[in-house]
Amino acid sequence: MKKQKWIALLLVCMMIILSACSGGTSTKNDSKNSSKYSGENSAVKRGNELAIRVAGDPQNWDPIDTFLLSWSTVATSVFEGLVSRSLDLEIQPGLAESWEYKDEKTIVFQLRQGVTFHNGEPFNAEAVKFTFDRLLGDEGQKGPQYSNYTSIDNVEVTGEYEVTMHLNSIDPVLLTKLSGYGAVIVPPKYIQEQGAENFDMKPVGTGPFKMTDYQRDKQVVIERYEDYWNKDAVKLDKVTFKVIPETATALAELQTGNIDIMTRLEVSQAATAEGTDFIELMDVSTPTAYSIRFDTAQEPVDDVRVRQAINYAIDKETIVKEILAGYGNLISSFQSNLSFGYNKDLEPYPYDPEKAKKLLAEANIPEGTTLEFFIPGTDGTFKEIAQAVAFYLEEVGLKASINSVENTTFQSELIPQGKAGHMYKNGWGGWTLDFDNTAYLMYHEGEFWNPSFKNEKVEQLLAAERATIDNDERQKVFKELTEVLYEEATEVNLYSEVEIYGVNKRIKGFQPPHDGRFRFEGVTVE
Amino acid sequence: MLSYILRRLSHTVLVIIAVSLIIFFAIRLTGDPVSIMFGAGEPSQQAVEELTAKLGLDKPVWEQYIIFMKDLVTLDFGTSYRSNSPVLGMLLERAWPTIALALGGMAVALLIAVPLGILSAIYKGKSIDVFSRIFSLLGISFPNFWLAFMLILIFAVQLKWLPVSGFDGFSSLILPSIALGLILSGILVRLIRTSMLEVLKMQYVTTARAKGIREWLVIIRHAFRNALLPTVTFVGLQFGGLLGGAVIVEQVFSWPGIGRLIVDSINQRDYPVVQGGVILLALIMILVNLIVDLCYSLINPKIRTGRGDN
Repeated sequence: MKKQKWIALLLVCMMIILSACSGGTSTKNDSKNSSKYSGENSAVKRGNELAIRVAGDPQNWDPIDTFLLSWSTVATSVFEGLVSRSLDLEIQPGLAESWEYKDEKTIVFQLRQGVTFHNGEPFNAEAVKFTFDRLLGDEGQKGPQYSNYTSIDNVEVTGEYEVTMHLNSIDPVLLTKLSGYGAVIVPPKYIQEQGAENFDMKPVGTGPFKMTDYQRDKQVVIERYEDYWNKDAVKLDKVTFKVIPETATALAELQTGNIDIMTRLEVSQAATAEGTDFIELMDVSTPTAYSIRFDTAQEPVDDVRVRQAINYAIDKETIVKEILAGYGNLISSFQSNLSFGYNKDLEPYPYDPEKAKKLLAEANIPEGTTLEFFIPGTDGTFKEIAQAVAFYLEEVGLKASINSVENTTFQSELIPQGKAGHMYKNGWGGWTLDFDNTAYLMYHEGEFWNPSFKNEKVEQLLAAERATIDNDERQKVFKELTEVLYEEATEVNLYSEVEIYGVNKRIKGFQPPHDGRFRFEGVTVE
Repeated sequence: MLSYILRRLSHTVLVIIAVSLIIFFAIRLTGDPVSIMFGAGEPSQQAVEELTAKLGLDKPVWEQYIIFMKDLVTLDFGTSYRSNSPVLGMLLERAWPTIALALGGMAVALLIAVPLGILSAIYKGKSIDVFSRIFSLLGISFPNFWLAFMLILIFAVQLKWLPVSGFDGFSSLILPSIALGLILSGILVRLIRTSMLEVLKMQYVTTARAKGIREWLVIIRHAFRNALLPTVTFVGLQFGGLLGGAVIVEQVFSWPGIGRLIVDSINQRDYPVVQGGVILLALIMILVNLIVDLCYSLINPKIRTGRGDN
């Protein structure tokens, strides 16, 4: 008798606990009924300071040593390049007020005057030269950024506030690249006197905020730089980036007001976040594209008909609608529609299982042929997509065997060595927002990320696109290139990513960045 | 006693050599760090070679190992590939949060398990015993990430009593400690109960009772002390495990612990950090084992003097 009473009591306790939690653990299906959470907005106590969740820590703040988004999320406020990219992705003057192409391989930059680094060191032509000498010299060559800037031969000081950049080859994407990570201007004296190791941990730039505290894997604090050349645009006193790897934890922090902005909110969390009075969701399209890439060296996907058939067999629209709750844009080439070179006239392969079956029959593919499909083990969303893909393939008589593998090995060994099965998940950041970089690395014969695909026409077009800085001409080349790739069906283009931000409503004027690089000019708090 | 400790410490050298051999070669099987460091770039062959040489990875692997061991003797754990910082410094930064969490988890486990274990042994078959058995079953079965999220949702989001995550003072230690400790206490309760039950059957307990010693004194001094031996071993081993193995809890609570550092470093193939971290954990484990063995002799003097039962 007593025993039963205890068990009953325990069960009641459990139920109370579970019911208390239901508001926060809602999944996509039950989330619409989740209870409204209306605690006080304790974020207000932070006043004119922001706290932002970041998922990772780049470990090293030297711009030539990194290629991580987690670097630029923070460092875009600390460093500046000669040019910068606005939130609307327009190239605009940065530390250079203007520039002029003397010829296709020579650019003269007029530099902004009266700019200082956070340590007080003056910004001038010497600093620009130092930056590029460092990037293109021995030190830079040992880092991941160098390869983006190999078209620059050297930078010459032609005045105290004027530099001339000499190129060794035509580079139509150069200006975009100059707004990229590796080309931000660094302080010569500071690095020479304090050493590169110190710079890794205590970076100094010319940006609107200076880094005042960095605790590895915990937090980064940036504070307003009072001598910033455009300081009127900056209203916030301080921004703290907190490293919170787990998204569920990050959502809890957002709900309790401990952070103001949560990046990378998951689709399944959207309803819970919206259920909190003081949180609003913002979404923004990103340049990141996802596809299922074929290894064209492997039978039977070496046959273009099979690749086209698979493209027809998969209902991409339903995948985006059901698995991503609509947070994704359909694409017809391996780039987002933000990217220069995106072909708007090209529609994605329609869902047509009958046509798929016909193509497979033409190619003499026996029913039940198994395709090895490799995906990284850590990506839950893509696992769901892979299962949907397997289902669609089965509908047309193919079998997909899904292999979930460790991400690092997948990226750095299996794909490059052509060991990732017949097809594999491919994701690409496309940071230059120009198809040039993506197309070259993906389809040029012998590239690290391209173990098997080769095509004469594609090679010609890739070369043609790089041979001119005339963007109308390049647009035409890209149009043709995307059409050839579409016919070749080198991959199943799935979608370009739409990122969801959870934002505390006390923040005004915040625009989520397409490229993940936060800008705080014009952001205020209530 | 001193010669015992010295003898034990001399074993340490052998263990460290064995551990270093295993981790040094095992981590090299995971792949090449240089390709990861270049990311999506197109490094020239020369750049790859230069970086490989800079990291010392161009030398034969045995030579690399000898260099590594030579440095280790002088407590030089090398430099992280990712951050360019000295590994020892990175590990020490994490040492305090890691130890605090392990101690916190252990404290929670003991505070729950010791009284509950003793009570359920004394009142075997009674309601408290049933409760403790259900408790330990739940404790063992709950996945700790689930428990961690539940704790966050209840105590941080709904009740707002405690911070959600982070490493900021005592209050931030409470939830992760409970998440770690509750699960551990599930096993510990069972262990204490079983050993208490065994000891309570012993003649010396009956004798003590016959002498008219008060019951709680019999239980604490005569029974519990003897029942402690297996518990101490278990607690010692678990404590070592908590130091490096609390990765999931560290992840959920954004805790800057050694476990997370090692896992991140494995993913990035940051060899020096993985090697240093594993060796440091092995050292701590050895130290904890030594302390456990010393505790034995405090609890049971027979072990100290090396005398047998007869």
